[in-house]
Amino acid sequence: MSSNSLLFSINNEGKVYALSTSGSCWREFMYLGLEFKTLSAVPHFLWAVGGDRQIYLHVHGLEIPIRVKEESYENERWLPLEGFSGRLLPTDRYHFSSQDGTKDRSIDCIRLPSMAWQWEGDWQLELTLDGQPLDHDGWTYAVDFPAQFGTVKQWKSCVRRRKWIRYRKFSAMNSWCAIAPLHKDPTQEPFIDVSIGGNQIPYATPGTLSVWSITAHGRVMYRAGVSTTSPEGLKWINVSIPPNCDIKQISVGPTGLVWALLWTGRAIVRKGINKDCLTGEAWLEVKSPAETKLTSVAVGFNAVWAVSSDSRVWFRKGIEGHAVGHSETAAMGSGWLEINGNMLHISVGINDQVFAIGESNKGVYWRSGITPAELTGKRWRMVQANMQLSRTSSTASIISSTSNPKHHSLSLLNENTVELKTNINLRNSWEESHSAPIENTLPLKPSKELKPKKNVNIENIDLTGKSYETTLKNPRAWSPVRSVGSVVGMEAQPDSDSSVFDVDSGMYFDEEVSQAAWGTCDATWTFIEAGACAIDTIQVPHWFSDSKNVHNSDITAKWRLEILENLKNGNNFNIDLSNFGLAIEEKGWTRSCEARLVGEKKCGEDCILSLYWHAIENSGTLSVFQPDGTIKFILNLEEITSIITSSEPGCPRITLTIPNQSEKFIKIQFISEMEQEEWFSVLIDISSQLNGLSGKPSNSSIWMVTNSGDVLNFDPIVIQSNIDKQGSYVKDYRVFGKDILTGYTNTLYNNFPPGSELKVVGCLDDEINRFHINLQGPEVQKQRHKIETEVLDIPLHFNARFDESTVVCNTKKAGHWDYEERHPLPFRPGHEFTITITCAEKEFIIKINDSQFCTYKHRLSPESITSVLVLGPLKLYTLEYFSRTAIIGPNEMIWRTIGGYLKKVETCQNGIVWGITHDHRAWVYTGGWGGGILKGIGGNEGIHAMTDTQTYCVYENQRWNPLSGYTSTGLPTDRYMWSDVTGKHKRTREHTKLLNCHWHWISEWMVDYNTPGGVDNEGWQYATDFPAPYHGKKVFTDCVRRRRWYRKAQLVTEGPWIRAGSTALLDISLWAHEKTASVWAITMAGEAIYRTGVTNTTPAGLHWEHINSPHSFVSISICNGVIWAVGRKGELFYRESVSEENRGGVNWKLIETPKCALTFNPKAGSGAKLVSLTNNAAWVVLTNGVIAVRTEVSIQQQEGRHWKYLTDCEVPFRHVSCMDHEVWAVQNDGTVHRRLGVTEHNAAGISWQLIHCGPIVHVSARGSNVY
Amino acid sequence: MANDREVLREIWDGKIPICFHLAQEEIMEIQQPDPFYVMVPRLSYFPLVTDKMKRHFLRYISQENADNEMWLDYNGQALKWHYPIGFLYDLFCGNDPQLPWTLTVHFTKFPETVLLHCPNKDVVEAHYMSTVKEADVLKHRGQVMSTMQKKDHNQLWLGLQNDKFDQFWAINRRLMESHGDNEGFKHIPIRIYTDDGISCQRLISPKNNDGSRKTVQQLLSELYPDKPEVKLRTHGVLIPLDTPLQWLSEHMSYPDNFLHICLC
Repeated sequence: MSSNSLLFSINNEGKVYALSTSGSCWREFMYLGLEFKTLSAVPHFLWAVGGDRQIYLHVHGLEIPIRVKEESYENERWLPLEGFSGRLLPTDRYHFSSQDGTKDRSIDCIRLPSMAWQWEGDWQLELTLDGQPLDHDGWTYAVDFPAQFGTVKQWKSCVRRRKWIRYRKFSAMNSWCAIAPLHKDPTQEPFIDVSIGGNQIPYATPGTLSVWSITAHGRVMYRAGVSTTSPEGLKWINVSIPPNCDIKQISVGPTGLVWALLWTGRAIVRKGINKDCLTGEAWLEVKSPAETKLTSVAVGFNAVWAVSSDSRVWFRKGIEGHAVGHSETAAMGSGWLEINGNMLHISVGINDQVFAIGESNKGVYWRSGITPAELTGKRWRMVQANMQLSRTSSTASIISSTSNPKHHSLSLLNENTVELKTNINLRNSWEESHSAPIENTLPLKPSKELKPKKNVNIENIDLTGKSYETTLKNPRAWSPVRSVGSVVGMEAQPDSDSSVFDVDSGMYFDEEVSQAAWGTCDATWTFIEAGACAIDTIQVPHWFSDSKNVHNSDITAKWRLEILENLKNGNNFNIDLSNFGLAIEEKGWTRSCEARLVGEKKCGEDCILSLYWHAIENSGTLSVFQPDGTIKFILNLEEITSIITSSEPGCPRITLTIPNQSEKFIKIQFISEMEQEEWFSVLIDISSQLNGLSGKPSNSSIWMVTNSGDVLNFDPIVIQSNIDKQGSYVKDYRVFGKDILTGYTNTLYNNFPPGSELKVVGCLDDEINRFHINLQGPEVQKQRHKIETEVLDIPLHFNARFDESTVVCNTKKAGHWDYEERHPLPFRPGHEFTITITCAEKEFIIKINDSQFCTYKHRLSPESITSVLVLGPLKLYTLEYFSRTAIIGPNEMIWRTIGGYLKKVETCQNGIVWGITHDHRAWVYTGGWGGGILKGIGGNEGIHAMTDTQTYCVYENQRWNPLSGYTSTGLPTDRYMWSDVTGKHKRTREHTKLLNCHWHWISEWMVDYNTPGGVDNEGWQYATDFPAPYHGKKVFTDCVRRRRWYRKAQLVTEGPWIRAGSTALLDISLWAHEKTASVWAITMAGEAIYRTGVTNTTPAGLHWEHINSPHSFVSISICNGVIWAVGRKGELFYRESVSEENRGGVNWKLIETPKCALTFNPKAGSGAKLVSLTNNAAWVVLTNGVIAVRTEVSIQQQEGRHWKYLTDCEVPFRHVSCMDHEVWAVQNDGTVHRRLGVTEHNAAGISWQLIHCGPIVHVSARGSNVY
Repeated sequence: MANDREVLREIWDGKIPICFHLAQEEIMEIQQPDPFYVMVPRLSYFPLVTDKMKRHFLRYISQENADNEMWLDYNGQALKWHYPIGFLYDLFCGNDPQLPWTLTVHFTKFPETVLLHCPNKDVVEAHYMSTVKEADVLKHRGQVMSTMQKKDHNQLWLGLQNDKFDQFWAINRRLMESHGDNEGFKHIPIRIYTDDGISCQRLISPKNNDGSRKTVQQLLSELYPDKPEVKLRTHGVLIPLDTPLQWLSEHMSYPDNFLHICLC
C-alpha cells in the first residue's frame, strides 16, 4: 500500500479500465466515444492506439502540473548618444538571447510547442539577482557580455541585460490527447501499435522516455523529444527496418530496449540503444522457440516475455538491463524457457512483474514470486477485482463531470438504464466518424478547450533512417511541427472525475460505500498493460480472492462472535478464586550478551551487558560488567531518556542517553546486527513501559529525526499529568550535599515570570561572612577571554552580609551594578533558614522564615531570569522551584522511538504529522507505534511498509602527467584517488558497505553523467587543480579530472507511516486550525504547493494544489495565515492575501534579506536557508549557520519589521522549528537546543539550553501548545 | 494468517481453577494436608505448573516415595501430561463442568501402561517441539520449522512456559502463515477425541474440492456421515458448525499447533 500505481487493461468492447494497486476494483476510463486497440504505459504516461488507428496520449496521476519555464535575456548595449538601446554591435549576441547568448530567443518567436500547452500568464521580468532585489526594470549590468552581471549600474557598465520568464503548462492532463497523424489524411497511414518505455535508461537524464510505434505500412517510427516535461514529444522519426520484415508488434522496455515481432512470428531486437543514441544502431534477429510463432512480446528490465501462437508462454534468459546499450548478448538474451500456463497476451511491469491474459477464461493473471533472483516466478494467480459497471454513455460522463464532483460516478450508475437508448445512437454516430474522431468530440467540450484545430504547415519529414529517403516517394508526406492535434474530451479534474484517479484507499477511506456500486460481473479482457504497475511482492494488493477482503468478513461473522462470547463466558467463574495461587509466577527476567562500549575516540572496551527487568514492579537495571565479571557500572533503566541506533556499516550500535550521569550517553556496539536489533527493541519496550508511554503520542509532542533515520517523540503531556499538583508545578532540585561554597547553579526552565516562586531551605555555617542568591540571566562569553564566561544580567541579587549586618538587594544590568536597597539582617550564623522569593507582577516578594521580609521592584524583566545561583558557606536542604506551567527539564524528556525511517518530520498543533524520506517522498503518521526492527511493539495498527532509497557516491580522481596522460597516480600531496566529494576521506567502490541488512543495492556502480558542472562523454569533469571549480569540457590548462560514481541502495522497513501523494517534496510545513490543517510544501522542482482536505480524520488530505510562482523555493513555513518561503538563492518571500476563501494567496512578495556576516566564518554566504514562523516572529537559519529572527511578523505586517541576529553561539545551526514561545534548533554537530526566555516582548529569547546530544538532523516543535 | 488478536488473547488467557488433593493412602502424617488451589493456564502442561504443588505435598508423604514420579488422576482416570491441560478438562469435564476441578495427586503406583514417564521439563519440551514439527509438516510440509533458528524454537517454548503471549506469538505467527499465496494450509493438524480419549487423526484439507473454505459442518459430514447430531468442543467452547477450518486452525489450535477437539 506504500504506493498507488495502475494496471491498465482493455476489455473485449475496447474500453479501457484501470486497477489501482491500492484499490480492489477495475474502474473504467471515461468513455469518450472511442474504443482502444492497444495500450502502453509508464507511470503517469499512457500511450494508446485508438479504434480509429490513431495514437493517443493520456497523462494522468500527476499531482502537480507539468510546467516549463521559458527564459529569454534581453540584452542592451550603451551607446554614447542614445544611452542603452537594443541596437547591439555586430559581434554581440542577439537582442533577445539565451543565457549564454548563443541562441536567438526573441520573445515573439517562443511559441507553445503544441495545443496541449497553455501559457500561464504573460512574460514577466525577473526582479531579483541572487537574492538581491533589482529595480523595477530588472536590469543587471556588466562591463561586457561574457562577464559577471551586477545589480548596480556603474560608470564602466557598457551592457545590461534583463531576464524575461514565462511559464507554460501542459493542459491536456487527465484526458486523451490525440497525437497528430503522419499525413494530412489520417487514414493514409494509420498506426497499429505503440509502446512507451525508456524511463530507466542507464545514465540517461532523469525524465527521458522513449516511444516507438508501427504504422499500418509496416514502418517503425520513433517519437523524438518525449520526456516527462514534454509528454507528447516533437515529431515522428522513421527507423529503417531490415528488408522483408513486416512488423506487427513492438515493445520498449524500461531500459529503452526494443523488441519487435514480425507477422511471421519471428522477433527482432534493436541493438545499441543507450543514453546517447536512443534510437539504437541496428536490428538483430532472435530465433523463435522451435516451431512456434510468437504473437506477443513484452520487454522488462532484466526480462523479456513472449507468448506464441499456440498460447504457450516463453521467458527469454540472459537479458541484462544495465548492459543492453552496449552488449548484443545482453539485449538479445541467450535462450527461450517455456513457462507453464496458456496465455494470449503478456505484459511486463515495474520490477519485471508479469501480467498476462489467460487463454481459457480471458482473465488477468499475475505471475507471483518474481524476484530479481528468480525472474521466472512461481505460478500464475488470477486477479479477481470487482468491476465498475460500465458507464458507456459518453454524454453522461461529460455532463456529470461538470455537476456534482464527488458522487457522480455513483449517480451515473443509477442513470444507466435511462441513458441506454441515447447511448446506442451515439455509438452509431461514432461508427461513421471513426477515422476522424477529433472534431466530433469537440462540440462536447466546454468553452475553455474549444479551440479550433491548428492549421499545420506541410513540411518535409525529418529523417534519420537512411533507407527511408530512398523508399519514400510520397510527396504528400508531412510531419507537423505542432504535433499534438487536439484534446479529446475535456480535461478531467482529478477531484471531480472520481473514475480512475480517485485514491480509493486513502487512509481513512470508507471502502464499503464505494464497493456498493461495483459489480462482480466477469470481464473478458483482450489487452493488459502493466508498464505503470508497481506491485509490492511482500504486500500484494487486495486483488486476489483469498486476500484481506475475505478475512474482514470473518471479524463480523456470527460463528466468530459466538466463539468469542463463549470464550469470554468460559473465563468467568462463579466461585471465589481468592485462595487460588497463580501457577506461573511472574519473575523478573534477565538478558545478557557480550558487547563493546565505544568511547569518544572510537576505541572500544569489551564488556558484558546484563539487563534485568521486572514487569510487575516496573523496574529494571542495565548492568555493564568487565569481561572478568567485575561491575563497571549499573544504570537504572529509568535514567535512560533516549535509545537510538548509531550503527556504522559493519558496526551495529545503539546509543543510550543518560543525562543524569557524568557521561551523558553511552554507545554500545553489538556483535551482530540481530543482537543489536533485539536489544534495541527490548530496551525501547521496557523504557516505554517504565515511563508509561504507549500508543499515539499527544498532539503537543515534539518530534525529532536522528541521523540514522530514527523518529523520536517527546510527549510533554505524560510528564505533566504526573506532576500536576494544585494547579502549580513544583520541581525539587536535588541539592543535598552539593557544594555551595563555590556556588551552586541550576536552570529555571520556565524562567521566572510572575507567579513563579523559589524556596530555599538550608542551614548557615557557624563561621559565615556573606552569602548570596542570584536570580540571573544566561552566561555569556567574556569579550576578551573567550574561555571564561560571565553573567551580565542579574535581575535579583540577594546578598546577606554578616560583617555589615545587612541584606543588600541589587540588580546587575549589562555588567554594571545598579543602586543598592539595604535591609537589616534577619539571619544568625549556625541557624536554619527558609527564604521564599515570589515573583509578583511588579516586584519580588521575599519572605524569610515564613514572614515577609521585603519587596523588590522589578528593574529587569523577570522573564529574563534563566537560572538560580546560591553561593556561600552554608548547607542546602531543599531548593524548590514553583511555576505556573509544567517544568520539564531536558533530564525528564523521554524520547520514544516511534518507528519508521525518515529524513524530516513536521507536526502541528492538532497532531497531524508528516514526514519526508531521503527519496523526497511524503509520509503521514498513522498513529501507530513500532514496525521494522521494533516489531509489534505497539500492535500492528497503522504499521505499513516503508521504503527509502539513498545514493552512495564516490569520486574517482585523476591527475595528468606529460608521459601517460591522465592516470590514477597523483602527487603525494593530492587527495585520495578514490575519495568522497571533499577529497579528504578515502572512499572506494569496493569498500562502500550498506548500513545493515535492511538495505540492499538496487543498482550497480554507475558513472554519473549528471554531476553538477557538466561532464564529458565518459563522465569526467576537469579542473586546473583539485579544489577548483570543475567543468565538463577539457581545456589546455586542466591538470586534474574527476568523475562521480553512484550506486543506489534501498531500505525496506516498516513504520507507522503511510504515503501521501506521489509528489516528491523538499520541505513541508503544517499549521493547524481546529480540526483541519494547512499543509504547504515545496516540490523537488522548487514549486510551492498546498494540500487540500487535510483534517484530523484524513491527515493525508486529498490532493495538491499548485501555486504559480516565478521563483523556485527550498523551504517554506506557514503560521496563522502567514506564509514565508525561502528561494533557491537565499531570498525570502511572503505570500500575499492568503485567506480562507483564497487559500493559495495571490502573489509572492520579497522580504528584506537578513545580513549577518559572522566572525567565525565570514566567507559563508548569508542568504536564508530555512524558515520557521511563529505567531509574531520568523526564525530563519542562514547559510552560514546564524539564526536570524524577524520580529513583529503578523497577519497585518506579514514581512515583519526588524532583523535580530543570535550571535551568542559559536556552533552554526542547521535547523530551527518554533511555535508560540517554543523554539528548538539543531546545531551542525547534531545537538538539539531549546531557546529559553522567548516571550511576547522578547521574540528572540535569551539563551540556548542543551536538550539532546544527538546526532539529530531535524526537529519539529510545531505541535507544542501547552506552554 | 492468525490476526484476530482478540480471539487469540482470549484463548491464551483461558485458565482453570484446580484443587489438588493428596491421595489418602499416601498421607504419612497425622495432620491432613490442605488441598492446594491454583489457577492453571488451559494451554499449559501439568509438569510445567505443578512444582509448587509438589513441594506443598512432599512433607506429607513417606520420604522413600519423595523421589518417585508424581502423577495425577481425575475420578480414577490417570491424566496424560503430554496433553494440554485445557484439553484434558474438556475431555473429562466438558459435558459436566466441575469448578474447581478436583484432582488427586499420587507419588506411588505409577500407571506404567497408561502414562509416559516425565522425569523433567526437558521431556515436555521435546514432546512439545516434536508435536509442533508434526503440525508444521501437515501445514507447510515442514518448511517453516526447518527455516527457524534454534533460538526461535526456544522463544516459542519459553513463551509458553512463562505465559508470555507476545513472546510466543512473535514466533508462532510464522507457523500460522499460509504459504503458497494465501491458499491456506496444506492440511489441518487436527485430532478429534472421543469420550474415552481415543483420538482420530486424518489428513484434512482446509478447502473443499471447489476451492471454497471447508467448514466444521462439512468436516463432520465427511468424518461421521452416520452421526448427524455430533458436536465439537475445544477450549471449553462448542464450535459453531459454520466456522471455517482454516480459521479454526489458525486461531484455536493449542500451542503445539494442533487442534485438540472433543467429540460430544
